[in-house]
Amino acid sequence: MSLPEKAIGMGQTIPTTRSRSRIGVFLSQPINWVFLVVGGIIAYLSLYPTFFLFYGSLTDAPLGVPGHFTLNNYVRAFGDPEAYPLLLNSFIFGFGASGLSLIFSLTLAWITIRTNAPFRRLFELTAIIPNILPPILVAISWVMLLNPSNGLINASIVKLFGVEKGPFNIYSIPGLIFVEALILTPLAFLIIAAAMKSMDPSLEESAKTLGSNEFGVMRRITFPLIRPAILAAGTLNFVRAVESFDTPAIIALPARIEVFTTKIWREALGSFPTNHNLAATYGVGILGIALVFVYLYRRFTSQVESFSTVTGKGFRPHQIDLGRWRYAASGVALLMLILLVVLPTLVLLLVALMPYYHVPTWQTWQNLTLENFRYVWTTARVHKAFGNSLFLALVGASACMLLASLASYITVRTKIAGRGIIEGLVFIPWAFPGTAMALGLLWAYVDFPIPIYATIWIILIAYVTRFLPYGLRAVSSTIIQVHKELEEASIVCGAGFAATFRRVMIPMMRPGVVAGWIILVTIFMREFSATLFLYSPGAEPLGPLLYFLYLDGMRGRVAAIGLVISVISIILIAIAQRYSRWDTK
Amino acid sequence: MWSPIRIYTSLTILALLVAVPAWGQSSKAIEAGKKEGKVVIYGSLESDTTDAIKTAFTKKTGIEAEYWRASATKVMDRALSEYRAGKPLFDVILTNDNPMQIMFRQGLFAKYLSPTAKDFPKDAIDPNLGPRYRNVIIGVVYNKSIISPADAPKTLEDLVNPKYRGKLVMPDPTQHTTTTQWVASLWKLMGKEKADKYIRDLAAMKPIFVESLLPAAERVATGETPIAITYVKYVYIFGKKGAPLDYSRLGKFMGDGHYAGLNSKAPHVNAGKAFIDYFLDDESMKKMASLGEFVNRKGVYPPLPDADKIQFVEMVDLDTKGFAEKKKEYKQIFLK
Repeated sequence: MSLPEKAIGMGQTIPTTRSRSRIGVFLSQPINWVFLVVGGIIAYLSLYPTFFLFYGSLTDAPLGVPGHFTLNNYVRAFGDPEAYPLLLNSFIFGFGASGLSLIFSLTLAWITIRTNAPFRRLFELTAIIPNILPPILVAISWVMLLNPSNGLINASIVKLFGVEKGPFNIYSIPGLIFVEALILTPLAFLIIAAAMKSMDPSLEESAKTLGSNEFGVMRRITFPLIRPAILAAGTLNFVRAVESFDTPAIIALPARIEVFTTKIWREALGSFPTNHNLAATYGVGILGIALVFVYLYRRFTSQVESFSTVTGKGFRPHQIDLGRWRYAASGVALLMLILLVVLPTLVLLLVALMPYYHVPTWQTWQNLTLENFRYVWTTARVHKAFGNSLFLALVGASACMLLASLASYITVRTKIAGRGIIEGLVFIPWAFPGTAMALGLLWAYVDFPIPIYATIWIILIAYVTRFLPYGLRAVSSTIIQVHKELEEASIVCGAGFAATFRRVMIPMMRPGVVAGWIILVTIFMREFSATLFLYSPGAEPLGPLLYFLYLDGMRGRVAAIGLVISVISIILIAIAQRYSRWDTK
Repeated sequence: MWSPIRIYTSLTILALLVAVPAWGQSSKAIEAGKKEGKVVIYGSLESDTTDAIKTAFTKKTGIEAEYWRASATKVMDRALSEYRAGKPLFDVILTNDNPMQIMFRQGLFAKYLSPTAKDFPKDAIDPNLGPRYRNVIIGVVYNKSIISPADAPKTLEDLVNPKYRGKLVMPDPTQHTTTTQWVASLWKLMGKEKADKYIRDLAAMKPIFVESLLPAAERVATGETPIAITYVKYVYIFGKKGAPLDYSRLGKFMGDGHYAGLNSKAPHVNAGKAFIDYFLDDESMKKMASLGEFVNRKGVYPPLPDADKIQFVEMVDLDTKGFAEKKKEYKQIFLK
């Protein structure tokens, strides 16, 4: 093949001779082979467990029992008029939580990426920390801080100001939205920060040259440029909020606020025995809603990409000099970090150090104990679980990022017909509620011909299946920064796909790969909903161990392990950020 | 005429004759179990309790024990899925009555009469599942630092006194299965007519709902809510960490029985038998009681004041339809 022919571009199929069939031409391009292999793997990972959920929703018998085709599950799930007001509640909750998470993440990203506020690097590092803590612990921490009877903040206000009652009540719609927003903020921050970093500075500079002030540039240029990223992050977080059960169970239930997931729990997942078929049907319903939003998300992100690839490589957005306001900006970022990180972590530390949790008094400080940390330090079961989880986190995140990098390359950089399907497939398992997906995975792999059920490999498969979208997002936001002329130059110089990918694309994608890897490591270190049904009792990871300790009322131990996981994850994040450009000034 | 010494000697020989086959059966299972290498247990018994028993079992028999802990529903979900797929990984299941009966009806359990089963009272032997090794007892638990024992409710009827309005936490009976069962069984304590009225009075108190019995106890321990309907054993479990909890001496308490079952397709059948033999043995039962459990052994009680005065009343069994109907009924009463 001549050089000009190669330089046409990867994924484009130009026939060299008339006699070659279209399939032959298609297969002659190495990138198309990569597309087929990656697409095949993703289609298998995504569709195989999903098929079992669809099948379960259309039958009247549990897995392994011969059943009959029926639509009764759909009639029961969606024929109930009560479902619709609850869906409305879920939408209010979802919009509120995702909207607030956008405000938090946008403010934090703007201060840390675009301004010269002091300590911005520290704020950027810590903004990801809430992702490390299990969401249920974050929700419990906020109950301990803001419950109306003896929440620490309310109790302090009562004591300091001598008022009869504290002003905050976590058991309310605003409380529910606030806590879920804090849980969702790191993911939105990641997406928005990446978009801010990949912005073309020349547009802002032109506006400034033409006389716009900083505020005008922000309003007319910066915000429209990152608007698609904001909408994309909002969409992702909306879907996550609508399908979440942990926060509503802890905050909405005592307030007697019902959302759609509470209904799913009552009638399917929490019924006795579990109604798998109805659970699968609700899962399919939520998938339908989620796919509409994933479609919108795809539209928004494709706009991000087209906006961000206007010019070449190596640019950095200019930093806004806030003058004396830079300390105020740091103050705002610090306030957000207090809400996101400091307060929940302090509560967890208190829980870990107290023999049992109660509102601290002077007596409390004398009774503090390191017993829970001693348990972490001396228990072989905990050490083994740390070993298993570290293995799963490091290998799982690496495997996931390899697949995400290839998938992202195909979806962002090639023109192969059907590349959009890959991204759609990636999002299907993510759109199902966690417990429903766990059932799908159990059904799919318990009778799998290759004996991988209850081995560490099945957990790796489950992690890659469920969390690939995070990897894909992180790497896609970086890949668009790499100008096409770099790989074209590589091809013109005679390198094939493999060499170009290895020597040009991988080094250039490194910041996104590392960012995605960090997010995945922090999730895999504590994941439990997909793990619970799949691991072998002899090889327990940390997620299930935390769940068992929580079930047994050992909150102190859960908090101590949670804090140790956080420390390990922070070390990993710091190392990874040091070797990536993701956190560049 | 028989002297006391002769009577004692005869009784000892008789006891040995009875015990030898039992011991023989156990030691045979242990030897064969050692060759199988390990026993795999799925259950809802608390991890700390199981850890203590597993350690002692391994020390005594040389057989390793692996334990997968989850809620009763999840235990049943996983066990049935594996069993139906023909790939059960577990040998023994430890969980409560209702899921055990469902799994029994699906053919999940082998008929295994452990030699140590004979030490349980006759009324604690289920014809299908064998000995009910422990009772998990639900009662009224309160925080002593907020409510003095004198002011605490003395009976279930006291609990619906308006002075406790806003001070009571319980699991949502329209969601939490054991609580649905508890409310549906109240007639066993107070008769049907009184129970029907009581349920409505309880709903009128607008109790604070939580997900399950543990968060209810935790809220009392932290002082967020002073009174809970929850497991009585939490008084001991949280109490030993310093939480000021006590329970109302109701006399009769309702609860659920727990059983141990051997998988009919157990991959390590002998190790499973050896584990059940040890699990139902005196040593294991005493260990369990010392950790706060109400075991079915005469004279063996958890270290909880007045534990010996608790009269256990087993809750009614509900089938799938029964649970669905009750949850629907309680939704009308408690959530409207």
